[in-house]
Amino acid sequence: MTHEVQSRPLPPAGAPAAAAAGPTFMDRVDRALEGLWHFLSSMRVAMVLMLAIAALGVVGSLVIQAPPGVVDDPAAKASWLDEVRPKYGGWTGIMDTLQLFQIFNSLLFRVLVAGLTISLIACSIHRIPGIWRTTTKPRVDVGPAFFEHAPQHEAIVVRHTPAETQAIVEGVFKGRRYRTLSADDGAIHIYADRNRWAPWAGLIAHMSIVIILLGAIAGTLFGYRDSQFTIAEGATLPVSGEPGLTIKLVDFTDKYDTTTGAPIDYASQVILFKDGQEVNRHTIRVNDPLQYDNTTFYQAFFGAAATMTVKDATGKVLVSQGVPLAWRTTADNRPIGSFSIPGTDYVGWVVGTLGNGDTTIKPGQMKVELYTAAEGKQVASQVMDQGKPTTLGDLTVTFDREGQFTGLNIARDPGVMLVWLGAFLLFAGFCIRFTIQHKRMWGRIVARPNGGAVLGMATLATRDVSQATDFENLVTDIRAALQAPAQS
Amino acid sequence: MEKLSGYAFIAAMLSTALATIFYVAYALSGLRAARMQTAGMPTTTTVTGFTSGPRTAAIGRYATMLGWLAVFALLFSLVFRTIATGHGPFANMYEFSAAFAFGILTAYMWFERRYHQRILALVALPVAFAMMVYAMTIPATIEPLVPALQNNLLLTVHVAVAIVAYGSFAIAFASAALYLIQLFIAWVGNRPEPGGWGLPRLDVLDDIGYRAVIVGFPFLTLTIILGAIWANTAWGTYWSWDPKETASLVTWFIYGSYLHARVMRGWRGKRAAMLLVLGFAATLFTYFGNLFFGGLHSYSGLN
Repeated sequence: MTHEVQSRPLPPAGAPAAAAAGPTFMDRVDRALEGLWHFLSSMRVAMVLMLAIAALGVVGSLVIQAPPGVVDDPAAKASWLDEVRPKYGGWTGIMDTLQLFQIFNSLLFRVLVAGLTISLIACSIHRIPGIWRTTTKPRVDVGPAFFEHAPQHEAIVVRHTPAETQAIVEGVFKGRRYRTLSADDGAIHIYADRNRWAPWAGLIAHMSIVIILLGAIAGTLFGYRDSQFTIAEGATLPVSGEPGLTIKLVDFTDKYDTTTGAPIDYASQVILFKDGQEVNRHTIRVNDPLQYDNTTFYQAFFGAAATMTVKDATGKVLVSQGVPLAWRTTADNRPIGSFSIPGTDYVGWVVGTLGNGDTTIKPGQMKVELYTAAEGKQVASQVMDQGKPTTLGDLTVTFDREGQFTGLNIARDPGVMLVWLGAFLLFAGFCIRFTIQHKRMWGRIVARPNGGAVLGMATLATRDVSQATDFENLVTDIRAALQAPAQS
Repeated sequence: MEKLSGYAFIAAMLSTALATIFYVAYALSGLRAARMQTAGMPTTTTVTGFTSGPRTAAIGRYATMLGWLAVFALLFSLVFRTIATGHGPFANMYEFSAAFAFGILTAYMWFERRYHQRILALVALPVAFAMMVYAMTIPATIEPLVPALQNNLLLTVHVAVAIVAYGSFAIAFASAALYLIQLFIAWVGNRPEPGGWGLPRLDVLDDIGYRAVIVGFPFLTLTIILGAIWANTAWGTYWSWDPKETASLVTWFIYGSYLHARVMRGWRGKRAAMLLVLGFAATLFTYFGNLFFGGLHSYSGLN
């Protein structure tokens, strides 16, 4: 694996055109646009942007970031800020104004990423013509000065005629699997290269970052995600992003290590129905999601649930379901969950116990509160023991038993394939870019007045500090070939 | 097996410490030879600028042997650990630190074989040794994997690839540190030309730094990609700005800037070396990150 940085430009083909008499308005526009293009495609600008994004990333990994969803909801955000206030004190407000708690959604971050993307695209477009030329129409004649000033160059005096010399040199190149091109205008010009498609790998690696970003954007625009989907054991619920799809949680189990108490397994046994027909059955684990069509169900969290039965005055069962206690009360951090009661204008809330030592709601009890759905006014509230039907207003409510609920993350992300494609191209591009070099060498053969010829060899690659370069090896080979006894 | 792994680990630590001592002796012997050379006594100077005296080469060979011994002892330790736990030795901070030290040692030995710059060991080996000392302070008890880590294939590949990247970056850091130290010595001594004292030539260090990064950078890229694939399987999203994810991206951006800096005029040499130091700081920040920033990677086994 040798690396010869070939970043220097070739000498210009012709003299620069003579400057016009005076700058017109259009000249100035031209120059401004050229300046802008130069700025956008400048590597220095790209580098500064990269370091700036890195700096924001450091902030983002040190400052607690608000969970997704919180930022868009003023009430949730206010309560979240109160949670972190003890940590950041008086800085909390300032940090919030500076968008430090949502750095990856902040205006500054977006501007920097957009800037880097534009710079990336501009840089790539800027380079395409040059790479295209070096691949397909390389310059064969680089002028005599190149053979004196190139980073590596050699001059060899030979006894062969120019044509013989050319044949020998090209033979050595071909033997090393180089492609050769030549031109003859009195002097013979030879161009030889290997791996001429390699420079495209770097370009592909750069463009693949754009593909990944497109994938991320596609995911946000056309994807669907519910990271707070809760379902109690025994319940069947519709999947809101997928019409006609319902999911039933048969059972949830959490297992712990007997000595350390560390969790070892979370498993949700579910059945999936499409229009009432069972279509899939799976035990979802943390590293084993359920995939159906383009929707994926992941194990995310879990907690306690209460199975409730509600009957109206006639004894008709209105509700019989598990209620996930997936939330916490702000006042005393009790688990809480809600359920709707069809056929009435009430919403029920179930408040759980804090465990041993709780005197308000003892273990084995639940508190049920009824609110009006429209105004949110409390109409009844009662702590009830398990299995005892209790009258609340005109309803009979029973807390049947405790159970568990599982929290699933349901996602459909059409952009993810683009992201993987981009990631693959990125990695493959880097591997090729860093291991395979486009090697280019030039030769120039001039006849000497009294017989023989002078062979000039040169390359843009720099000398290597620790080993012989390809150029040095080639020159050695060419010398050997030139000195071999002439075949008769 | 767990015990065997522990013994091999101790052996690795001891050989690393001994190797470091021999490398220091080697450097001192080279320094002495450099002095002798200025005094006009017989010495040899290699193409890359290292001067050696009569005993230097022998000391260097012993240092290298001890270095390899450390690599193999640590390798055995990790293999025994893998057999004992049934998964790749990357599941908690103890295993990960030992693996990190292994990555640094192996990367160093590989670069020594290719570039014959034993002086790099003066920086690389102490870093590896520090990692092992750090691992010693962490309880090494084997615990069952938490659900998120129960993916043997990805656990092994994701972290093994990260180790290669981190090891390479440690070598890049070593060469950058030696580069900057020489500039600093020249600056303090008010000498026009840095170099001397048997230290590697600046362009050699610049080159080694670059080569270490072009090994490490694709591996870091792969680490992040595999991490995204795993996150997509376990957490349902390939990117969630988890602090460790973010820190690895920061590291990626810094080495990305370095690669661009190096082809720009005026950024080779000193500034590039500074970026390498910054990059390794970010690498360590990413590595130790889960100790203080919590998030989804907080499985360190330390509470």
